[in-house]
Amino acid sequence: MMATAHASHAIRSRLNRRGLQAWSGLLGLLVALGFGTWIYQLTQGLRVTGMRDVVSWGAYIVTFAFFVGLSAGGLIVASAAEVFGVRSLKPLSKLGVLTALASVTCAGLMIIPDLGRPDRILNLVAHPHWASPLIWDVGIIAAYFVFAAVDLTVLHRREKSPTGLAKTVRVLAYIGLPTAVLLHSITAWIFGLQIARTWWNTALMAPLFVTSAILSGTALVAVVAVAAQWFAHVRVPEQTWRVVTNLLVVSLCVDLFLVACDYITILWGNVPRERAALNLILPGGSWQTVFWLEWIVGGVVPLVLLMTPRFRSSRALVAVGALLAMVGVYAYRIELVVGGLVRPIMQLPPGIAKGTYQSDKTSFVYTGTYHPTWVEISIVIGMFALLATFITIGYRRLKVLSRPPESPPAPEVAAHVTAPVAQEALT
Amino acid sequence: MADQKRWGMVIDQSRCIGCWTCAVACKEINNQPLGYWWNRVLTAPPASSAKAPASENVDVPAGEFPNVSLAYQPTACQHCQDAPCVKVCPVGATFRRDDGVVLIDYERCIGCRYCVAACPYGVRVFNWGDAQHADDFTVGYGEDYRSDGRLVFTPERPRGVVEKCTMCAELLDAGQEPFCVEQCPAGARVFGDLNDPNSEVSKLVNEEGAKRLLDELGTKPDVFYETAARRDLGDGSTQSGSGA
Repeated sequence: MMATAHASHAIRSRLNRRGLQAWSGLLGLLVALGFGTWIYQLTQGLRVTGMRDVVSWGAYIVTFAFFVGLSAGGLIVASAAEVFGVRSLKPLSKLGVLTALASVTCAGLMIIPDLGRPDRILNLVAHPHWASPLIWDVGIIAAYFVFAAVDLTVLHRREKSPTGLAKTVRVLAYIGLPTAVLLHSITAWIFGLQIARTWWNTALMAPLFVTSAILSGTALVAVVAVAAQWFAHVRVPEQTWRVVTNLLVVSLCVDLFLVACDYITILWGNVPRERAALNLILPGGSWQTVFWLEWIVGGVVPLVLLMTPRFRSSRALVAVGALLAMVGVYAYRIELVVGGLVRPIMQLPPGIAKGTYQSDKTSFVYTGTYHPTWVEISIVIGMFALLATFITIGYRRLKVLSRPPESPPAPEVAAHVTAPVAQEALT
Repeated sequence: MADQKRWGMVIDQSRCIGCWTCAVACKEINNQPLGYWWNRVLTAPPASSAKAPASENVDVPAGEFPNVSLAYQPTACQHCQDAPCVKVCPVGATFRRDDGVVLIDYERCIGCRYCVAACPYGVRVFNWGDAQHADDFTVGYGEDYRSDGRLVFTPERPRGVVEKCTMCAELLDAGQEPFCVEQCPAGARVFGDLNDPNSEVSKLVNEEGAKRLLDELGTKPDVFYETAARRDLGDGSTQSGSGA
């Protein structure tokens, strides 16, 4: 019996080794392609993107806002474990902080291909203009990056000397939670404070960003944990899953509630200027795809998966639900960024000139259009691959799902001891 | 600061004939590449610029025949006192001079385009790639211009930075008027010092009730409009969707 188990374990670990090589190879290829595409974009300028003078922000800023959101979950999961004493989340704290660090790094990097003059990026440090929400965001992203790196180091060290660092971990958690809330609020204010864009200009923006960040960040942690369970046979305690699933359900409901509040306010008020963007997004409008992605694919479907007892007992279906919720949050980011730009507040014929010239077409655009080009898609995919690379490397190096030493030997944690074995197989 | 000028402009919409001479003149003196328009002559509902236009096409009058009316709103940078673009610029590349002219430092701008999103008037132009020019395009003010050492105009457009109307800062500083004012064949543009109560612009603003675009946003532009409302039909009919 023992011998068979040992043999199958050996086969599995060999398969895993193959799988890991293929996975790393794929990620490496995608990152290289994305980087190569960015070099190409540098030689051509941003004219190789689908952005122009009406819709002047596109896939890069959408993805930036999405990555910022992803970085929340982690720290919120990790800090909630300490601050609110949610003991059952502790097994995921280190994974949470790792995804936070990886996501915030990718968010910062995502800005670079969007800049017209990336060579001048240090002007942000040399000539900061403090009235700009963008400068606040640069500051908070840098602070969050440093914080997550420190927190991850401390959590890692704690495993070697379990007694000494408990207080430090606690203090860091108390700093981490407000820092995370501030990060999402400031990123929301980049949009929410703009009087020229009625679609953005709502006080709901910061609460919405915080909520969707908790949703997408927790979803990322859940997806990585399920993958770890799948491929590395790490056991995450049942109670932990229950809390994570519930957190996903609650944050998804609050997220959709906030978006619905925004819709209702605009629809009932019926001010033409405010209706303009919403009309494009609601069913029947030219941007309705994002509506369906947000409300059905990323709303109703994950809610059914995460709430029906029969479905939520399956890890795979929880992971699917979490992934779909992330799709919904990404759709919301498109709806927000592009939706705010397509119908300028002063919309009079012939519109705004695009800023580039085609001999057979008018230079003017009345209602903005936006289709990301292969350049944008390649760079965005490359950034997602980079995020996955960071998480994979961090996961393997730091043994993020290994048993937290101070955990009480509760029955549900007992299953956890298989984790180190599986990780030996991986490393 | 009695001597301090505050340059302002009043555009009389009841005089504007929608010929686009100002827009083309602007394009010419500032050597604007193909596809760039710092200054556009928008077709506007005569009663108020904020109302919905009759059509997405230019030159379509508002109203039902025979009760139709038509107005134009030449639109470039409004040189706001409380300019959203100045506020959002993360590196202070967009700035407002003491004389009220809002300019962009071509050497400071990082090309984030936050200002493009923040401007309610849609007047900012980004250099998406290398500038294209028609072969026989004549270059107007064909040299770099610096204001307080900052490069605020250059005929060879650097890729990846934002640009817009400079109120012809290089002409102002040489004691001349902006080129669009000089070129308008209908005399619809009046230029002068808003700090001087006796200037023509001040009188038009203070006595003739010239208005600001999107005044309710509180951006306080130094460009004003004499609306064409006095030529309106009285019943306020500015129906939308009736056009071609």
